[in-house]
Amino acid sequence: MATPGDHLADTRSRLQASLDVVSTLFTSLVDPTTERDRERRRIAVLCVPFATLLVIAGVYPLVEVVRISVSTEQYQSVGFSLQAYETLVSDPYYRGIAFNSLWLAGGTTLASVGLAIPIAHSLEKYELPGEDILVTLVSFPISLPGIVAAFMILVLLGNNGLVTNLVAVLTGGDAIDMAIAVSAPGLFVAFCYSMIPRATLILRGTYAKVDHAAEEAAQSLGATPWQTFRHVTLPQIRPGIIGALILTFRTGLAIFGTLIVIQAVVVWTLQISRELGPGYNIQIAGAMATVYFLFTFAFTALGLRYTDAEVGL
Amino acid sequence: MSTALSRRFGRGLVTATLLLVVGFLMVPIMLTFVGSFAGEWSGVFPSEFVTLQNWREVLGLADTIGSQRSMGWDTLFTVGGYKLAVPSELFFSVGLALGGVLINLVVGVPIAYGVARYDFRGDEWLNAISVLPLVPGVILGVAFLRAYPNLSGTSFGLIVGYSLLKAPFMVMAVRSEFESMPLRRLEESARSLGASWPRTFLTVIVPNARSGIVSGAIICWTLAAAEFNFSYIVWAKGTQPLALFLQRHISNSSFTKAAAAVSMFFCIIVAITVLLQQVGSRGFDARS
Repeated sequence: MATPGDHLADTRSRLQASLDVVSTLFTSLVDPTTERDRERRRIAVLCVPFATLLVIAGVYPLVEVVRISVSTEQYQSVGFSLQAYETLVSDPYYRGIAFNSLWLAGGTTLASVGLAIPIAHSLEKYELPGEDILVTLVSFPISLPGIVAAFMILVLLGNNGLVTNLVAVLTGGDAIDMAIAVSAPGLFVAFCYSMIPRATLILRGTYAKVDHAAEEAAQSLGATPWQTFRHVTLPQIRPGIIGALILTFRTGLAIFGTLIVIQAVVVWTLQISRELGPGYNIQIAGAMATVYFLFTFAFTALGLRYTDAEVGL
Repeated sequence: MSTALSRRFGRGLVTATLLLVVGFLMVPIMLTFVGSFAGEWSGVFPSEFVTLQNWREVLGLADTIGSQRSMGWDTLFTVGGYKLAVPSELFFSVGLALGGVLINLVVGVPIAYGVARYDFRGDEWLNAISVLPLVPGVILGVAFLRAYPNLSGTSFGLIVGYSLLKAPFMVMAVRSEFESMPLRRLEESARSLGASWPRTFLTVIVPNARSGIVSGAIICWTLAAAEFNFSYIVWAKGTQPLALFLQRHISNSSFTKAAAAVSMFFCIIVAITVLLQQVGSRGFDARS
């Protein structure tokens, strides 16, 4: 029969065993004897700079955000209170904002990836004249921040925008009534302006790996272009499409600058910055940041774990 | 029906989609650029061409006041009575972004090599961590304000923040370059000729991956120079990063002047991209 003394000894020996493992690992890293140990040390050395940056600039600041979000004081992290989280859950205002974020990012993700598939397809499969230039043009907006994307939408859809006036002339209406730049649809288009080039970049990488021989075989066996795409190309690019959906959705949720210029819909990121304004609700802002981080982390991890998504360029 | 619909129209439709989207992306850019030289833009198209007044005001060569204030000029150094002055916001952002790229090179190239070259337990997770942005700029900004209240608004704080936000792009670019190289063979040849492992990495592997490294640096530089979200949250006072300067003009200035500010930004992006591509294809060739 086990006595408390045995139990203690058992725990102690287990602790000792795990300590041994750690110390062996440590010794093998510091003073490697086998080639395998040396390889381990090399991997560790290669990861150290990135890990350092990640801890100093990422992990530690995020821990501070979590601490302030459960703090009972406004300017110091002391005590423990879930007041801020209760507000987020119970206040319909914040639920509405969460809903706005999700439908705006979700809808623009579907639209952007939906457009990126034919774009990547034509760039990779067809021999178009001036293809290099087209690639450059489609990629250029990747370097434009959200505020510039918003300005582009003002140029197209604003009060004296090009499309606005075109529509006004065609329908005989007043241009001012046709301007949709500062509205939810205008914001939707502005999001797509930022997201289409990114989705295209990801999918072009996917397309580059597609097996051409299988496609040619299908074509020569009499499959139509649509059948070839549906049954030969699509299964190959599916992991890339799912990866693009995940990454583009993350991009959509993170958009902020666009909303500073076109403040038509209040979403999560915009509200975080508003909480830091007059009133300085750092607890709420911290709680919102924590929720955002946990949400994106969870759906990315689940997406990578349970689908065949590929992430990368 | 003799021919399938997709055979007759598929290619045309797909190509039309491409051209429409390229138009959607490019037309406003061109209109903005043209409009920046206009004196007036209250109708559909800009009018009263050609004036450089908008550009002069944005670049700080003409007097401006208040929220439409344009760029300041800093004296960089003085040589024999001639002062070399640079537009301060521009110079500031170029420097910040370069600082971010330097950190990205130091942290991004090694981890990309680790992931591309070695198989070990958890390498997929390490890969995911290194290529996915940890948090968006707004949230990192809030986190920096909390964790480093005195440092977050300084140049150093901005550089560190930019480097973390843009690190995934460096890792992705360099990793895909590494993956296209015969890494094991390169490493083994160098080692068998007597080079130590650190020496192999620094003098054989890294120089061979320079095109990936340069393209990673281009992407990181342009994205850091354009970073708005993080800067907006943490920036407190002093010279504004370029993106904040742009936002001030978009929100406060006349349409033509905002167009000039945005066009200036287009020019910088184009110039840097071309410059670094030149460096990538020729400048580093001394070794090979």
